[in-house]
Amino acid sequence: MPIAIPTGKEKITKFTNCKLVKGNELVEQDLWVSSETGKIVRSQEVFYGEQVTPDITINLGGRIISPGLIDVQLNGAFGFNFSQIPDDPLTYGKVLRQVNKSLIQTGVTSYLPTLTSETPYVYKHALPHLGPSGYHRIASDGAESLGAHCEGPFISPTKNGIHKIENLIPAAHGFSDLESMYGSQYLEPTLSPSGSIIKPPTIKKITAAPEIASMMSTIPEITSRGIIYSIGHTEATYEEASQAVASGATMITHLFNAMRPLHHRNPGVFGVLGIAESLPRPYFGIISDGIHLHPTSIKIAFNAHPDGFILVTDAMHLVGLPDGVYEWTNGEKIVKMGARLVLEGTEKIAGSSITLIECVTNFLNWSGASIPQALKAVTQTPARMLGMERVKGSLEADADADLVVIEEEVDGSGKKNLRVDQVWKFGTKVWDRET
Amino acid sequence: MRLIIRDDPASASTYIANYIINRIKSFNPSPAHPFVLGLPTGSSPVGIYKILVEKYKAGEISFENVVTFNMDEYIGIPREHPESYHTFMYKHFFSHVNVHPKNIHILNGNAPDLEAECVAYEAAIKSFGGIDLFLGGIGPDGHIAFNEPGSSLASRTRVKTLAYDTIIANSRFFDNDLEKVPKMALTVGVQTVLEAREVVIIITGAHKALALQKCIEGGVNHMWTLSALQLHPHPMIVVDEDATLELQVKTVRYFKSIETVASSQGFEQILPSAIRTGPRDSAHKQIQPLPEVHESPTILAPKPLTSQLLSAPATEYPLRSVSPDLMPESMHARIAAY
Repeated sequence: MPIAIPTGKEKITKFTNCKLVKGNELVEQDLWVSSETGKIVRSQEVFYGEQVTPDITINLGGRIISPGLIDVQLNGAFGFNFSQIPDDPLTYGKVLRQVNKSLIQTGVTSYLPTLTSETPYVYKHALPHLGPSGYHRIASDGAESLGAHCEGPFISPTKNGIHKIENLIPAAHGFSDLESMYGSQYLEPTLSPSGSIIKPPTIKKITAAPEIASMMSTIPEITSRGIIYSIGHTEATYEEASQAVASGATMITHLFNAMRPLHHRNPGVFGVLGIAESLPRPYFGIISDGIHLHPTSIKIAFNAHPDGFILVTDAMHLVGLPDGVYEWTNGEKIVKMGARLVLEGTEKIAGSSITLIECVTNFLNWSGASIPQALKAVTQTPARMLGMERVKGSLEADADADLVVIEEEVDGSGKKNLRVDQVWKFGTKVWDRET
Repeated sequence: MRLIIRDDPASASTYIANYIINRIKSFNPSPAHPFVLGLPTGSSPVGIYKILVEKYKAGEISFENVVTFNMDEYIGIPREHPESYHTFMYKHFFSHVNVHPKNIHILNGNAPDLEAECVAYEAAIKSFGGIDLFLGGIGPDGHIAFNEPGSSLASRTRVKTLAYDTIIANSRFFDNDLEKVPKMALTVGVQTVLEAREVVIIITGAHKALALQKCIEGGVNHMWTLSALQLHPHPMIVVDEDATLELQVKTVRYFKSIETVASSQGFEQILPSAIRTGPRDSAHKQIQPLPEVHESPTILAPKPLTSQLLSAPATEYPLRSVSPDLMPESMHARIAAY
């Protein structure tokens, strides 16, 4: 009998007896991945064409394979805040690498490290480390950055949430204000001599309030560089939000939070989910931690535009730390009580401390959506929002082999739980619950 | 001719799947002596493949030393096209079992020289010593593989133009657009099928009843190409009740009684032992042993050697006594006696 110990030389792994998340369906199908290319293999083609058979076959016993989870709004984790430059700025990269290795164990295989409204000093020291990190395709690097998300500082001072108000600034001179704030080198893609983009800019996404100063007219300048413009922390009316969408905004940062509420005579930003089909409807982030939003609001948003629905954690570096009072970057203090984070002495929500898979589980239990629908909100939909649907968030051939093996558990009261059993990055297993 | 009648398509498929498994096991294939299996595509065999896959996963059969030849393939559609027969075979069978891709033979409908492809295919079959069991289905017009009505009963692997009926029938797989349906195919010939040491055909459904009637009650006729099976020494047709609708009651009763009587006497309609074990001729092509496969602890797939371990010894089957060879005396010996 062959000994079932992997030799470490396997290149092609075949998963069998598993259910693949494909669109809104769970499909019973085998999946082949290659640790050599880091991609999902066109199995039929290599089988007939190159007469290749898998080096190892893994029977998953009916478990689910989802594309690796993508969190497009994560402020920090495991005690490290991406917006907090250490006393010795040179240690930033080292700590970040540790965070990436821990983060992947939660099933998040790629993410947008998110910076809150900061000063140019922070951007200067943080952004060099936060750009897309997957070029070398090394599985052991852990979770991969798809580019930085700069949430602020061009946001509304009346919808600042816990962003430090003195850092907020209007972009009076348009794009040049963004360049002097973030650093122009982090906003420009690397072009080939023929003019095509060979490397996207360090910054993948910018959250800004469209109604402030000349931001509205700056949106096309942002999107023309391959950067996603996201509406957020804003007092925008429905009309202003519509105009932003027409100008190229394709995303809304944490819908409902830090914006005007839905009113029947002034629907605000939420209204753009109901606009005429002639304009593309934007994607939108939702924090389903049970604190930021009422479950019913989440259901309404999902049903308004299921294909734009993206679950995000907006988690802080306090994820995984015990309850207590913690220092915040602006000198104020944050109180952590379970998953709830508030600014000390106020009722202001200060981000969340929830994992992405817990968000998916919450949504699953609140909405009655199917498992593939819920997982789509953290895989295919964010990948499409980022323009990366062929590479990330997909189990189709040639996509990156970033995978999560999930077991569905149902407790006595019928509550579902999705348990992450294994995490694979670029075709290599990087975490296993059982080892 | 053996005609096996079962109540429904599922039990007909089960019968054939079990039959194939028993044949492979008693054949006791090895790398030096592989079992050569001819395979069809189409809706009828899907149930058979499903059972074969289940039995493989349950460890009851290994295809490690099985060489396969497929009947046909379209010309001019990509190998990975969802309707190609490569895709069909991969989806329903090859991706689930341990047939090594090296041992799989499917005609290449995109070969630069199609005629050479056909000649090479026949040569490949011969190099393995011929096909031990050719599994097939038929169309409502009695065609086997793409040997449409009017095909020569002496035909071999070749390029074939599809009948208009077949193109219409196939258009449902190509967005109902006749323009997208391939008009030509590569197919083994009727003679290629007849040269297999055994031919097993599945026919189910009322829409194929007339074809069955023409093929077994009618004469040998090129308008119903399967009727050539009457000339084969060891054919077997497995049908469901619906497929017998056009047959005479007498025919149905006859074949049913053969099976009943045979089993009540403990005597099955089995093949001569030379057919069951195949020609033991070392001159024929052998297959490469499979590379060692590392498996995860949870897998239930059969291990190498399973096929040998599970196979029944040949003596389990009733052996016919062998007639002594005729040793004629010379005539003058008799004359001297008088």
